[in-house]
Amino acid sequence: MKVVRKQDTRIPRRPLLWLAAALLFTLPPMFGTLPSWVPLLFLIALAAKFWMEPKGYRLRSLVWKLVLVALILSLLFFSYGSIRGMEPGVSLIVMLTSVKILEAHTAREFHIMIMVAWILCLCGFFLSQNLAIALCLLIAFTLLLVALIQFHRGPLSAFWSPVRTAGKLLAQAAPLIILLFLFFPRLSTGFRFQIAPQREASTGFSDRLSPGSVSFLANSSEVAFRAEFPDGKIPPLSAMYWRGLVMWHGEGLEWAAPNAPAALPRTSQGTPHGQAIRQWITIEAHDARWMFALDRPVNSPSGATLAPGNYLWSNQPIHKPRRYEVISYPEIPNNRLHSREREPLLEVPTAISPAVRALAQSWSAEKAEPRAIVNKALEFFRTQGFHYSLSPGEYGKNDLDEFLFHRRLGFCEHYAASFATLMRLAGIPARVVTGYLGGEYNEIGHFFLVRQADAHAWCEVWFPDSGWQRIDPTAAVAPDRVNLGFNSFLERRGAAAGHLDNTQSVLARELARWPAFDRARLGWQTLSYAWDTRVLSFDGDEQESFFASIGIPSHRQIFLIVGTVVIAIALLLALYAAWTHLRTRPCGDRLKIMYESFCRKAARLGAPRNPSEGPFDFSRRATRLLPDESDRIRRIAKAYIALRYAPAPDPTTLEQFAEEVNGFVRAS
Amino acid sequence: MRQGGSSKSGFPLTSTRSFAGLLFVLAAIWYAASSQNNAASYLLLFALMGVFLVSIPRTLLNLGGLQATAESIKPAFAGQEISLPVEVTNESRATRYGIALTLPDLGDARKRIDEIPPGKAARTVLRFPAATRGEHEIGRLHLSSVYPLGFLRVLKQLPSPQRYVVYPKPAGDQRLPAETVRSGQRSSQRELGEGDDFAGVRAYVRGESQRHIDWKAVARGQALMTKQFTAESDGLLYLDLAAMRFGDLEARLSQLTLWVIEAERARRPYGLRLPAIEIPPSLGEPHFHHCLRTLALFQ
Repeated sequence: MKVVRKQDTRIPRRPLLWLAAALLFTLPPMFGTLPSWVPLLFLIALAAKFWMEPKGYRLRSLVWKLVLVALILSLLFFSYGSIRGMEPGVSLIVMLTSVKILEAHTAREFHIMIMVAWILCLCGFFLSQNLAIALCLLIAFTLLLVALIQFHRGPLSAFWSPVRTAGKLLAQAAPLIILLFLFFPRLSTGFRFQIAPQREASTGFSDRLSPGSVSFLANSSEVAFRAEFPDGKIPPLSAMYWRGLVMWHGEGLEWAAPNAPAALPRTSQGTPHGQAIRQWITIEAHDARWMFALDRPVNSPSGATLAPGNYLWSNQPIHKPRRYEVISYPEIPNNRLHSREREPLLEVPTAISPAVRALAQSWSAEKAEPRAIVNKALEFFRTQGFHYSLSPGEYGKNDLDEFLFHRRLGFCEHYAASFATLMRLAGIPARVVTGYLGGEYNEIGHFFLVRQADAHAWCEVWFPDSGWQRIDPTAAVAPDRVNLGFNSFLERRGAAAGHLDNTQSVLARELARWPAFDRARLGWQTLSYAWDTRVLSFDGDEQESFFASIGIPSHRQIFLIVGTVVIAIALLLALYAAWTHLRTRPCGDRLKIMYESFCRKAARLGAPRNPSEGPFDFSRRATRLLPDESDRIRRIAKAYIALRYAPAPDPTTLEQFAEEVNGFVRAS
Repeated sequence: MRQGGSSKSGFPLTSTRSFAGLLFVLAAIWYAASSQNNAASYLLLFALMGVFLVSIPRTLLNLGGLQATAESIKPAFAGQEISLPVEVTNESRATRYGIALTLPDLGDARKRIDEIPPGKAARTVLRFPAATRGEHEIGRLHLSSVYPLGFLRVLKQLPSPQRYVVYPKPAGDQRLPAETVRSGQRSSQRELGEGDDFAGVRAYVRGESQRHIDWKAVARGQALMTKQFTAESDGLLYLDLAAMRFGDLEARLSQLTLWVIEAERARRPYGLRLPAIEIPPSLGEPHFHHCLRTLALFQ
């Protein structure tokens, strides 16, 4: 057998450029999520390719390839300690792609590179799914299409026209993509593989409140969640306490929430008072299980429980953005507190210094009424020279004395923790609540955006007559923090102090004064919110409720849906094909089209017309070949010649001609 | 990227090798997206599917309105290359991209036309080896295209009735026969035709070389006349198959071919004598090709 050598065609330069551009756009999700040497080596490989290609160099030797792969594996093992898991896996794919880039040379390998780039887009979505990343990957996707189109057009075509074609292709595919997105069955496959994200629940919130844990977040502009008030009932900013966790266990300045709270029994809930406020909350992935709701939620959304202390606790870690509806009431009076419940609420660590004990007891000795004690304590914070500060310095968990009597400088966590401890010492049941306070209203999208910087901690104390009551000691120290929201508070204070933090914030602030920029920022937030709520949160459950909303009640009808969608897509494609055909079909007059159809029919009967044959010569030959049809052929030829060449053809001849052509095969 | 098999089925779309790659990528994305319930990955999956689906009608219609005509083919000797000039006309109203021309019956000859604007034509030459002597048919001419994404190939089969002649391969180690056959019938040893000495004029016959038209006479307003020359010749050279005593038929035909070439080059009038065919001695291009064609078609 003859061995056919594969054509070793080199990749033309321009498709390679488009491919490289696409690969660049798959990089952003890797920065910040993978060790930085991974995307850097990828970039170096890409640059090296462009240096090697004109010189004809390429990675050929198998030994070198194996050495590189071994090197990569050991590097990955060194930096992760294991090759298993998502990040190491993605890093491995990225690094192997780098090697492939150095090796790729032929047209076939170009196609393989395109496939690999698609897989890299997938990896990008595994690392991050926010709107900015999605747009980057959309650009990468489009550039891959451009690279393919350019490759198949050849090197001669104009530079921008493949881009236009790719754009058209995407635009035409858009209805199909939407159809598929809505109707493609999201099977919950049994063969779920667990790529446990290695991310620690580091983004912001924590189930421990320790000195510095909230102020640490104060500079983080990362989004925690977004909230909408579908009924239009919006509480004032100063009452917008987003409840996250309730911490029962206190050790001076450090408080902790239970690891796995039990569900709150229905009966122990009080009767809510005041106005019900419905919220739609879209929470960002944080890989832990806390959820947020306006103080205080009364129902638990599906997949979550209402924990003792009236806070939401997800049944599963939140690995992707999630949207839920929750109803809150500003007050839930509940004045039943058993003595066995009361006891742990008065627990204080043994290491409390006598001075602190003396302070608390001085209040309780003076007044026996709990409210009076609380006011006394707030008075203490207000008048004794306490300051609200982002950088209060280091405190240990037993530095209550240091905070209360010496430094008197703290952030909300210091005030909440110390206040709750003091209340317990004074004999009032108290707990710490962490969550967020306020948020930024987006007037374009009509939602509140709550950032990590809005994190807050406050206290709740128990009064025998009205139950748990929110007390925010921070409000006593820095009322503006509560009234204005955190960013405005900082701004005002910065302006008063006459200093700005750094040059970047100067730029940011200058830009923020420019209204168009502000609108653009709000617009982007709105888009990003829509992306999270409309796209990212659309999973199997959402799809089912979507089906229910359009009248398909159960997923047993999945085949019906699939069938309908397939038919719809086929119809769309057929329409598109017909439209394209009509738009591009050969232009020509009716006469020519009819004559050509006659020639086609004749060819089918065994008398093909030679390209050089005129109508007369052809008819003579055809009458010989098809004697049965000779009369008709002669008439057709005569009519055609008359119509084509006569100075003023009779219009009725054209109709006769059409009839003859139509009857040509039918008669035979 | 060759067309696998020549399916006579009516559907003109076939998948390419990268289609398998696409399926693999789609499966991988689907698996990853469904196991993680990752809506963004699903979106990527659907984007890829959607773009692929939309590319189907694009590919399917990319050959619409394209006509290919093979032009006349110059004969070649066996072992040489045949050049087939093809003109592809785009009668549609859209630019057509990435058109490949192949001859499925004649090996892996392949030419690519990158782009044909609407109403324009592109010319290219397909080359393929001339294998055996004789008259052959082009058979089919395939137009195919994988544009725009390369996952599917659309195919248009054009029956190509063109025929081409392959002369025998010139080969052999025998010298050109020196002996001449005297023609008893002929009164003159001089052979009219090409030569150095002017012998007169006669009426021009269509198809003759224009080199010998008496252009001066034309300028004077006379009809086309051909100048005739005679060559000094010892006699007439007949190349006779029957007189050859070596080799098989093909080897002898090859030898005859070589002799024809040598005789033509040496400007020695030669004739050809095959069983049942005799070509009287002459010189010149029409004669040369007539002889070679006879040798090519000899059964």
